[in-house]
Amino acid sequence: MTMVRIYVVDNGGQWTHREWRTLRDLDVDTKIVPNTTPFKEIYAEGVDGLVLSGGAPRMGLQKELGNCREYLEKADFPILGICAGHQFIAQFFGGEAKPSKIPEFGKIELTLVKEDKALFKGVPKKSIVWESHNDEVTILPKDFEVLGKSENCEIQAMHHKEKPFYGLQFHPEVEHTEYGELIFKNFIEICEKKS
Amino acid sequence: MFNAEKFIEKTVSSLKKEIKGKALIAFSGGVDSAVAAALAEKAIGDQLVAAHVDTGYMRKGESENVKKMMEKLGLNFRFIDASNDYYDSLKNVEDPEKKRKIIGRKFIQIFEKVAGEENVEYLVQGTIAPDWIESGDGLRDTIKSHHNVGGLPENMKLKLVEPLRDLYKDEVRKVARLLGLHISERQPFPGPGLAIRIIGAATKERTEIVREACDIVEKEIEDAVKKGKMEEPWQYFAVLIPVKTVGVHGDKRAYGYTIAIRAVQSIDAMTCSYSDISHSVLDNISTKLTNKLGDKINRIVYDITNKPPGTIEWE
Repeated sequence: MTMVRIYVVDNGGQWTHREWRTLRDLDVDTKIVPNTTPFKEIYAEGVDGLVLSGGAPRMGLQKELGNCREYLEKADFPILGICAGHQFIAQFFGGEAKPSKIPEFGKIELTLVKEDKALFKGVPKKSIVWESHNDEVTILPKDFEVLGKSENCEIQAMHHKEKPFYGLQFHPEVEHTEYGELIFKNFIEICEKKS
Repeated sequence: MFNAEKFIEKTVSSLKKEIKGKALIAFSGGVDSAVAAALAEKAIGDQLVAAHVDTGYMRKGESENVKKMMEKLGLNFRFIDASNDYYDSLKNVEDPEKKRKIIGRKFIQIFEKVAGEENVEYLVQGTIAPDWIESGDGLRDTIKSHHNVGGLPENMKLKLVEPLRDLYKDEVRKVARLLGLHISERQPFPGPGLAIRIIGAATKERTEIVREACDIVEKEIEDAVKKGKMEEPWQYFAVLIPVKTVGVHGDKRAYGYTIAIRAVQSIDAMTCSYSDISHSVLDNISTKLTNKLGDKINRIVYDITNKPPGTIEWE
């Protein structure tokens, strides 16, 4: 069996390399690529999925996030946006992201608001996740559904109703997120099914 | 999954190709530099020279132990006592980033001098992933300048070799175990040492206090772990806060500094949660610290911050 190939697009997050490591530990063929990489280069390498990493404050609120717009326009494979990546996805699809009224750092309780048999398969309704954000998605884009929330942030997790695009405000790649590895495993499964 | 065996094989063979001639290894005595040294030694044998700098900000007895370790590993080594020089250059420096950069620059100056004497062109460092990630780059914010990244001059003469750049501490430990290094489980200790465990100017006098405090915290926690009173933390130490408060020592007014105890659980230093230490263990540490450090210290606090929002070290 050939390995599933998922690249991590580096938007300058502190945990970009952790995303790479988590994928590699799960036997994914992975590498970190700069967010300035043209889509056709990524596509030519036959990727089965992309992770859009987080970045410094306000990165996810910009009009452009490297070439992330192009990836979202052209991808026929699954995309998982994390933190700034998630915020950018929301804006791209017509939603809105803004500085958080109450930024969240460290340990937070995530509540799943909808049963999801894909990205959150096997994740309990309430679990501990690790956060590090100054901004958040404030208006959900049309065609998207909220999957999870926390006390101070209504859109912790969302997915596109038709396309395999997901956004997470919290960080599944770090050790302290209780079901982080499971979420990655589920994303890998989603990429395998699509390819 | 990370495969330590394959990693060693691949790294030794690429080091053989990369290093043409003699190389210097910056040897602090921690897991990262010891693993980098062992790999480089496998690749180039006696073409490797190890250099250890006693900055004056090492833990109690540490530099002496490192000397013994370098002997035991059969390394061709140089031991440099630069403590007075370090104390002098940090005398009035309060800003944590300035401290880190001065320390990093001094390391390189010393290594360049040794390299000149030994006719060496390459500098091997045990830099690991969090070091360059947190030091920042064109895309990433600087959280803190790690001494082995943020202190490097722009036009450095030595060619840098960093075989552990993509590894995290838990992976380095796996490699260390396979290499049979006895220090494989040692708790991390930052390159700038005790200088960043003193808030404000890292004077010699304050360094002696925090050195003793770190020693007490380490011993007490290790003892409590041995007795099954707590889980072993990933890292545990003391921080000196130059905030004076009032106490009463034997019917006499005291006015001394504050010590914070820090103990955390982590696997890779990219996130951490504070350790759940019982009050009876904290009580023992508190009593030991205040009794041993006398009038210098009269207040002890326990740090209950996770990462994020905090970092593991205070500076």
